[in-house]
Amino acid sequence: MSTSVYAKPVIPRIIFRPALATVLLHGLIIYLLTVNWTSTEREITRAKPVPQVINARLVDVSEFKPTPKPKPPAAKPKTKTPAVAKPKPEPKVEPKPTPKPQPKVVPKPAPKAEPKPEPRISPNELAAIARAELSELLEQEAQATASADEMAASFIGLIQQTVIRYWSRPPSARNGMETELAIQLIPTGDVVSVTVIRSSGNTAFDRSAINAVEKAGAFPELQQLPNAEFEKQFRRFRLLFKPEDLRY
Amino acid sequence: MEEQLSLLDLVWNASFTVQLVMMILLLASMASWYMIVNRYVYFRNARDEMYRFEERFWSGIDLSQLYREGNEKASDGTPIVGMESIFRAGFKEFSRMAQQSEIDSEAVIEGSRRAMRVAYMREEERLERHLAFLASVGSTSPYIGLFGTVWGIMHSFRGLANSTQATLATVAPGISEALVATAMGLFAAIPAVLAYNRFASKVDVLSNRYDTFMDEFSGILHRQAFAVRSRDKKAG
Repeated sequence: MSTSVYAKPVIPRIIFRPALATVLLHGLIIYLLTVNWTSTEREITRAKPVPQVINARLVDVSEFKPTPKPKPPAAKPKTKTPAVAKPKPEPKVEPKPTPKPQPKVVPKPAPKAEPKPEPRISPNELAAIARAELSELLEQEAQATASADEMAASFIGLIQQTVIRYWSRPPSARNGMETELAIQLIPTGDVVSVTVIRSSGNTAFDRSAINAVEKAGAFPELQQLPNAEFEKQFRRFRLLFKPEDLRY
Repeated sequence: MEEQLSLLDLVWNASFTVQLVMMILLLASMASWYMIVNRYVYFRNARDEMYRFEERFWSGIDLSQLYREGNEKASDGTPIVGMESIFRAGFKEFSRMAQQSEIDSEAVIEGSRRAMRVAYMREEERLERHLAFLASVGSTSPYIGLFGTVWGIMHSFRGLANSTQATLATVAPGISEALVATAMGLFAAIPAVLAYNRFASKVDVLSNRYDTFMDEFSGILHRQAFAVRSRDKKAG
């Protein structure tokens, strides 16, 4: 630099940070992409049926949900506090006449002691009432969801039974064949569309499964289900057809 | 829905040409990101250095003192870039020529201006390094990706011709894998174009500042040169 103005330009070396940033960025993006893509795949593979006598089985999200928690026991201890609070306001009235005839020194501790519990009670009371109401609400909700879950489960069973009734397997059906269908319903219970998600490889078998659903046609019982529950579970669901009772 | 394919499967099962295209695009993306961060760091340093130097320059410090400070820095091994290198080039030329009394003061100013011009050009060259690469990644990588996609789709449709039962499922994976190439092309191109535009405007800003500094500094030199000459004349 100092020898000639025309020397080769000195370029500050900035290598480490860009390289690190590049590798991190690309690694992160590749990781995110692969993770996202495989997670959608995993959901399906997990939905394998437990071997059972029934051949058709509804694969549904609700099966993986934990059962609703029992109602919280919080309600009982809190209802006690308002009961305790009631007797306290009483002494407030009594001491007031007494301090007047007496010398000044005596009444001081008395008024001090009284007002204190009062503010203590009211927030406690309020909180207790609020909590009791809240827990009641929670309880109701839990019951509602529990009943909805039960209903959903019973409908799953119903759909299974109906579809099985209409399912006539082709002679080419073998144990271990699996066809997964995606079924779309509308709130009246009618089947709108049936598509094969995963083919068994045997067209006749796939066809028989589709036919079974199409013959069943509609599940009008689903109208009893609350709308939100319907949207969640039955708007689109998957049905796995898997014969296991065949001899070969 | 459909057949669930993971992204990696798509890439691994792609045809050779498509894989090659993806490889090129990945490399282009990595290189362009390297250069983006590199330029970012460089420009930030250059700007900080510029502010620091300008403050020092206008603080009323003796110019030869400033030049000596620069010498110390250079001997420490830190490369002198930006405004300071322009200053050093001009000042060195000036002090060298001013020592020879037979040279006209106009010529001295002219000489130092020339030296500063050279240093300025070099600075500009440094600033613009890598930018051409970013520009070409930005403009060509969508096309490379598109080529991969077209090739992949061509391939999967040819496969369709061979099979007797034509379903969507026979072509869909091929098209999907082919589209990955376009996605990668866009992924490489968008940051490169953005960064190119940003950095180009930064280069403009910095070189404008350098240009202004050159004018200011040659004004100072002008004053000094004539002061020296007139003093010499009085003395001689």
